[in-house]
Amino acid sequence: MSPAMRVRFWGVRGSIPCPGAETVKYGGNTPCLELRLDSGRLIIIDAGSGLRELGNHLMVHDLSKGPIQTEIFLSHTHWDHIMGLPFFTPSYIPGTRIKVFGPVSFEDQGLRDIVGGQFTYRYFPVRQTELAATIEYFDLKEDHYDLGGGLVLSTKYLNHPILCLGYRFEYQGKVFCTAYDTEPFHNVFCTDVCDPDYDEAMAVEGEMVAKEENLRVEKFFSGADLLIHDTQYTMKEYASSKTGWGHSPIEYAIAAAKRTKVKRMALFHHDPLRTDAQLDELANTYCQNPEGETEVFIAKEGMEIEI
Amino acid sequence: MTDIPITKKQRLNLIRNYIDRMPSLSTTVNKVLEVCDNPRTSPNALNRVIALDPVLTGQVLKLINSAYYSLPHQISSLSRAIIMLGLNTVKNLALTTAVLESLGGEKSFHSLSMEAFWIHSICVGVTAKALAALKGVPALEREEYFVAGMLHDLGKIPLNNRFVDDYSQSLALAKLEQSSLYRAEDQIMEIDHTFVGGMIAEKWKLSKTIVDSLRYHHQPEAAEEGTRLLVSLVALANMYANTLDFGSAGDNFPEERRLFVLIKEVGVDWRTLSNLSRTVTEEIEKAKIFLQLTQGG
Repeated sequence: MSPAMRVRFWGVRGSIPCPGAETVKYGGNTPCLELRLDSGRLIIIDAGSGLRELGNHLMVHDLSKGPIQTEIFLSHTHWDHIMGLPFFTPSYIPGTRIKVFGPVSFEDQGLRDIVGGQFTYRYFPVRQTELAATIEYFDLKEDHYDLGGGLVLSTKYLNHPILCLGYRFEYQGKVFCTAYDTEPFHNVFCTDVCDPDYDEAMAVEGEMVAKEENLRVEKFFSGADLLIHDTQYTMKEYASSKTGWGHSPIEYAIAAAKRTKVKRMALFHHDPLRTDAQLDELANTYCQNPEGETEVFIAKEGMEIEI
Repeated sequence: MTDIPITKKQRLNLIRNYIDRMPSLSTTVNKVLEVCDNPRTSPNALNRVIALDPVLTGQVLKLINSAYYSLPHQISSLSRAIIMLGLNTVKNLALTTAVLESLGGEKSFHSLSMEAFWIHSICVGVTAKALAALKGVPALEREEYFVAGMLHDLGKIPLNNRFVDDYSQSLALAKLEQSSLYRAEDQIMEIDHTFVGGMIAEKWKLSKTIVDSLRYHHQPEAAEEGTRLLVSLVALANMYANTLDFGSAGDNFPEERRLFVLIKEVGVDWRTLSNLSRTVTEEIEKAKIFLQLTQGG
């Protein structure tokens, strides 16, 4: 029986592309995922630098079957998640149709301006209006969407320095989920009663809200057949200097996935400083996968997962 | 403004357009810029500076309620909004609103004094919250009372800004007839600030309790049962502020009959109310110091 969905990693790295001798095995491109439904429908999640190679792949394997049509879902609009768009070759082919979806922080500046703003002469030699493809932009919120053809999408705001959405795709009874870029919600307000800034109401409410929001995120990816989760840091790194940067510690993410009976989980959005050797070490520590628990693995460029 | 009389429909259109770009109060804007420009600013300070500006508070709640469609309840707490939206998003929003200062400077406030309006708003917020405590409302729910009180007169801002002459006449009429300002506004413009407040709250998708306190703080009996206590406490806090002249939002003749009804309904005596004046004064002073308004202010 053919799988309902296939997910392929074209970029697994966070922050900035990092090609080099030490990132050959896992890859140095920034986030880009290809989600293929059994119907052939093509969905792309994030337009990091990995999108360039996906575009080239589509030119070779898909264009001969007819004009390329795709829906691109952006987790958020930080640069490492949109930088591949100008280098997506199908954009320059007449007949290509692209729908771009994503969250925006302010209603008075839509996705077209924020993402399409890369296509201006100051950043790139081609303007948006000069692209041959038809590109449409759709702003998303936290909500549920029927994408047609039996594909249903739920979105959930995560915890990142700008509004960032996790995606939960449900198709033919299978669930594929993304939860990046994000870190656990935490009480940002002062909890030190001796601090002159201390405010009891803020401190108490902060604790409560953080707990509630973390539970909502867990409920969002609960029971997923595949979860791709931000795990940029180890707990030690996170606690020592990276709290508030919007990325998760590996240990926290794995525990959350296990609590919510996720079947398979990809550790994703690797830190640009993380070498292949270090990722191998992390695999030894965290991907032993005892029987009956969530199967944890490290995302690698070119890897394909069937759901 | 033109001498040709404008229709109610035209007025409503002008108000709707203004609501989309409503500036924060210049009273708080310098502190907003200082807090938001500082990369090391504390979340407590950010929360506090936003809480002291009714427009900014409304904008943050508007953003969170429009972004989180799937939440079962609308959010009326700034602390919750800051944690959920993240510090950066809230800072950016505050900065965007603050840079509209050119539209919202003291001069744009025309017939009303911006600082007196601000003090009145804080007084109603602090009093509503204190009354909520007296009524046994749990601590975590009291911020909503502060927000509702702080925002209750938002509807005056577009009216005062868009219809300068008419607003000035409304203030004069209320003074002449020693009546409540909303009646004078209605007589002159066929629209009053409670109606406009309701428009703002609905357009910004604020919670039902906030919508009702903006719309019904002059007739709390019209509020639904679920929001009645909050609206009544805001109404009483408003009368308290007007009677004791904590700041001014142009409403200097509270309806005495309604005051007695409210005191009875809420179940507090005047002495208890009077005892709140120290708390209110202290809170206003603390806010002024925080905003650095004490020197020359």
